[in-house]
Amino acid sequence: MTTHETVRQLLALSAAGFLDAADERHVREHVRECAECAAALDDLAAVSADLCRLPTPVTPPDLLARTQARVAAELAAQAGLRHGAILAVGAGLFAWMAALATWGLYRFLTGSAGWLAWLVLTTVPAYMAAGAVAIMFASRRRLERSAL
Amino acid sequence: MIYQAAHFEDVPVAEPDEIARLRRCDAAAVASVVQRYQHRLYRYLRRLVREPAAADDLFQQTWLNVVRQIGRYDPRRSFDTWLFAIAHNAAMDLLRRKAGESLEESGCQLTASEPDALSAAMAFERTAILASEMAGLSAPYREVLTLRFEEGMKLEEIAEVTHSPLSTVKSRVQRALETLRQQMTARYRKEDLL
Repeated sequence: MTTHETVRQLLALSAAGFLDAADERHVREHVRECAECAAALDDLAAVSADLCRLPTPVTPPDLLARTQARVAAELAAQAGLRHGAILAVGAGLFAWMAALATWGLYRFLTGSAGWLAWLVLTTVPAYMAAGAVAIMFASRRRLERSAL
Repeated sequence: MIYQAAHFEDVPVAEPDEIARLRRCDAAAVASVVQRYQHRLYRYLRRLVREPAAADDLFQQTWLNVVRQIGRYDPRRSFDTWLFAIAHNAAMDLLRRKAGESLEESGCQLTASEPDALSAAMAFERTAILASEMAGLSAPYREVLTLRFEEGMKLEEIAEVTHSPLSTVKSRVQRALETLRQQMTARYRKEDLL
């Protein structure tokens, strides 16, 4: 490939400001002696300059407000989800503590020390309650997102 | 170097404390950042997808994705680049689904038809003509041009936004500029003959 062909391929990148110093110098030296490349570089520079001045599309006046409202709703939904998760964990812990508190009552009523039956009778409802809270919040979040 | 980026010093960018508050999902900070970037982001999306309604949807989708993904943002990196990369992803998803929109870059052929009567009437405005010619380029070329010349991004930043190698960005810029130069030269030559 000749110098002319090499430089020819660099002209657009020079006009875009994407050449390093060495390549830029190479281009400059060549265009001083090559009228064809000099003319092409002038045209490319004019196109580049015009591209910086293109008419900017007008942003719809209500787009900002609509977007801010949607984003605020999304943030509220995210906060709701975090709150729901905390609540579900809290409900699970509370149920578990309540179940532990029933241990004495269970032994008194049944006269049995069978811990396995007690475990099933108390922990299953505890986790079901926590799950119900989590599902409730997940459903609410889905409804909120579909309303957006 | 022909291209001068000095006029990009005034572009609105997010302040570091604003970004920190945005990362904490502070509603006021989010609203402020959306406002700050509204014109730049909308312009980028309009150049990319061309249709106002699609750009409108993508603008909103981009900000929803920002608040959903803000936890993944690395504050040591440029917020602008991260934001435009999210917008790029949303726009590419839309363009892939859309019939008739080419994401190919081979050939860099103009796909638009001849300018309509209104555009012809405005033909004396060189930038209006250029905007019309640019709209005829395929999406990858429109994108690198707007990121470079309207957003003032560096080569590396454009590569990051478009998830492309540096060589690809260079070749897109080169082909797009060369195509526009040829189109503008041909158009003015034609007008001179009339």
